[in-house]
Amino acid sequence: METEPVLSDAGEPRSEAPAPPSSDVRSRRQVLRWLGGLTLFSSIAMILTPVVGFLVPPKGGRAAGGGKILVGTTADIPPGGGAVVAMGSKPAIIVNTDQGVKAFSAICTHLGCVVAWNDMVGVIQCPCHDGRFDPNSGAVVSGPPPAPLPPLTVSVEGDQIFLTEA
Amino acid sequence: MAGAPTTKRDAASGSAAGWLDERTRLGPLLSASLHVRIPMSARTYYFGGIALFLFGIQVVTGTLLSLYFKPTPEAAYGSVQFITSDVSFGWLIRSLHHWTANLMILFVFLHLGRVFLQAAYKYPRELTWVVGMLLFAVTLGFGFTGYLLPWDQRAYWATVVGTEIAGGVPGIGEPLLLLLRAGTEVTGDTMSRFFGIHVLVLPLALGALLGVHLLLVHQLGLANPKRAQSRATEAPDDERLRPFFPNYILDELVAWYVLLAVLVVLASLFPAGLEEQANALQTPAHIKPEWYYLGVYELLKLVPRVIGILTPVVGIGLLVVWPFLDRSPEVLPRRRKLVVGVATLVVIGLVGLTVIGYAS
Repeated sequence: METEPVLSDAGEPRSEAPAPPSSDVRSRRQVLRWLGGLTLFSSIAMILTPVVGFLVPPKGGRAAGGGKILVGTTADIPPGGGAVVAMGSKPAIIVNTDQGVKAFSAICTHLGCVVAWNDMVGVIQCPCHDGRFDPNSGAVVSGPPPAPLPPLTVSVEGDQIFLTEA
Repeated sequence: MAGAPTTKRDAASGSAAGWLDERTRLGPLLSASLHVRIPMSARTYYFGGIALFLFGIQVVTGTLLSLYFKPTPEAAYGSVQFITSDVSFGWLIRSLHHWTANLMILFVFLHLGRVFLQAAYKYPRELTWVVGMLLFAVTLGFGFTGYLLPWDQRAYWATVVGTEIAGGVPGIGEPLLLLLRAGTEVTGDTMSRFFGIHVLVLPLALGALLGVHLLLVHQLGLANPKRAQSRATEAPDDERLRPFFPNYILDELVAWYVLLAVLVVLASLFPAGLEEQANALQTPAHIKPEWYYLGVYELLKLVPRVIGILTPVVGIGLLVVWPFLDRSPEVLPRRRKLVVGVATLVVIGLVGLTVIGYAS
């Protein structure tokens, strides 16, 4: 493949003295350059759109299926008691208060730790920064949490406690 | 193939390429790779380059799929369903991976056929051919190991049959079967093994072999399909040449764009399907492997098991060492009537078996 080339790099016969390109040639080159840039840009966009879209995880995932979930019985959570249960992939806290069975998201609104029932004090308490919540309303009683615990729909049928997923 | 002059001019011009070259000194290497000349009469039909492009697509789509795929029998099927129906563009990425795999095998076949027909495997390119045959084997291995991963009925039973065929090779069949399945049955251990081979072992092997293959192609240049290469070192050569870059590369890029469009159309009109989840207790009726294994599968119905298994093994082995058996310097097909005739018959037989297998 080291033989004498008979063609120029552009694949055309060599001319004796290359003349300066005319304005027609220059504008043609500009159009070609512009078209080349457009092709490159649209190709990159065409490839990146599905790739980036694919990388973004879908909202919610498959875990949130909806419906009622049996999370325990009143024997497990007697009056004055409380427990953290799983609602799909997320934790919920059930408290059997004097105003009935209440349920809230167990994810602390401060920094996302999972809260627990403190039966000695009678509050929902976060172990991370001692944020405390009212077991009847989920409101912040003390500590740094900026918002109350989101309430969940709970129902008691017989002695069975159900949570309803949104 | 001499390297181009150094790129000081680019550096001096302050261009991005010049800036990069000043810090990498890769300019001469790039020039030596690109600024070569190829015979005007060389007709590659871009098959090899297209196979390379398709491999690139497989790397990208495969990497993306691995971000969601869960390689266990309990979770694999669900994760493939999740990718297909929940993830944005998941159906597209999965279908592209599926169709690109099929087209990659097709174009590797075509590339092999073109090189064989033009006798491009002859002196001095025997090793390029051998490495190419290994690449062909690795490509088939990709198809085989990737097939199990969705863990649906078709995947599971095609793997059972495929590994059973491998287990029938006289002498080494039994240990080969255990090695492939990681046990006596196709189980979660098989899936772990196939996943590891599919995403780690084979890509590394293919990358290394591809590097050697391309290096040899670069060093030896493209074969002239009209004239055998002389063994004399200073043979006069008045072959007309044309630049590899940009002329050949531009043609290749056009072919890649066309293929990309074809792939998107195929993936959109015929997206990759998913059958019921694998059930080790129930073989579905009319189970068949993918089209590229269908010929061998059909052959096994027609001839005794040992012959059906040994025929492709011996055939591929013969192909690997073929450049060392075919010592004739002739390259024109019309002067190699026997070889070309037998090869044509083999291809017709293989296509015929595949068609019968597909229709049965």
